[in-house]
Amino acid sequence: MPVQLEELREFIGLEAEPPRVARYQVNEAMIRNWVEAHDDHNPVYVDAEAARATGRDGVVMPPAMVSTWVMNGYRRWRAVQAARATGQAEDFAYSRLLKILDDAGFTSVVATNVDQRYLHELRPGDHVTCHFTIADVFGPKTTGLGEGWFITLHKRYVDQDDRTVVEEDFRILRFRPAAASTQES
Amino acid sequence: MSIPERLPDRLPDHSVGTVLPELVVEMDRTLIVAGAIASQDFEDVHHDPGAAQARGTRDVFMSINTTNGWIDKYLTDWAGPSARLTSVSLRLGVPNFAGDVMTMTGEVTAVDDGVTTVKVTGSNSLGVHVTATATLQEVSR
Repeated sequence: MPVQLEELREFIGLEAEPPRVARYQVNEAMIRNWVEAHDDHNPVYVDAEAARATGRDGVVMPPAMVSTWVMNGYRRWRAVQAARATGQAEDFAYSRLLKILDDAGFTSVVATNVDQRYLHELRPGDHVTCHFTIADVFGPKTTGLGEGWFITLHKRYVDQDDRTVVEEDFRILRFRPAAASTQES
Repeated sequence: MSIPERLPDRLPDHSVGTVLPELVVEMDRTLIVAGAIASQDFEDVHHDPGAAQARGTRDVFMSINTTNGWIDKYLTDWAGPSARLTSVSLRLGVPNFAGDVMTMTGEVTAVDDGVTTVKVTGSNSLGVHVTATATLQEVSR
């Protein structure tokens, strides 16, 4: 079923899904796993005294880690994938948009751009909520991976006091894998 | 990869054109997976080689959030713990496949009222994996 540009552009400006509340507070254990994965030896992420020596109140979070707190977690991720495999979609704008693309064969995803503005450093104990808006949809474009559609999500992260801490634009490409379409044809 | 001897106490003296030390990142599958799971990203292309190949790529590849984390690390290895990143804008090119090596380079492109802008490039055997522009400043400001 061909995807119509007009149909997809109606999603622009809609709330992508309900605000996503982090499953837990920013915490030192998750931060330590992150910095070890990136071989990051900056002491302000793990050593409160070193962090205070820089004028901070204590340990802070690596800025690129902000999206980690509002990831779904493996349990919900599996539930979403299982629903998707049976062609079901939750009644959120973003889910409906992805289902249209899924049904048209644009089943694979790669992220292409991230723009983040860090307004405040986050610390252990902070509790993040993220507000998602569908900022842009455009396509179809022929890419090295196959034909696809670009979607830009705007993410506004707030802390427990509803203070905006990070603003982000995140762009993905939903594409029809070139290899898979060759195999099918 | 190597452990820096010691990160600098303050942002090193710099001006437009200052070149940051190069960083070489050897990427095996474990490094790709460690980054994905640390960020709670369960997309199969970041941990399952068979699934990645079924989607037309040769192996698992680094997630965008992991790339972003390496940019953080690269910048503060140079700038030191007293620096704070205030923005990052990154664009991905070719994938960072497991088994490849990424070389990160950086150059100061602006210094304006205490805000330093750095352009970062990460390249591998296929070409440019990421180009990024980041701003940072002393945390005390």
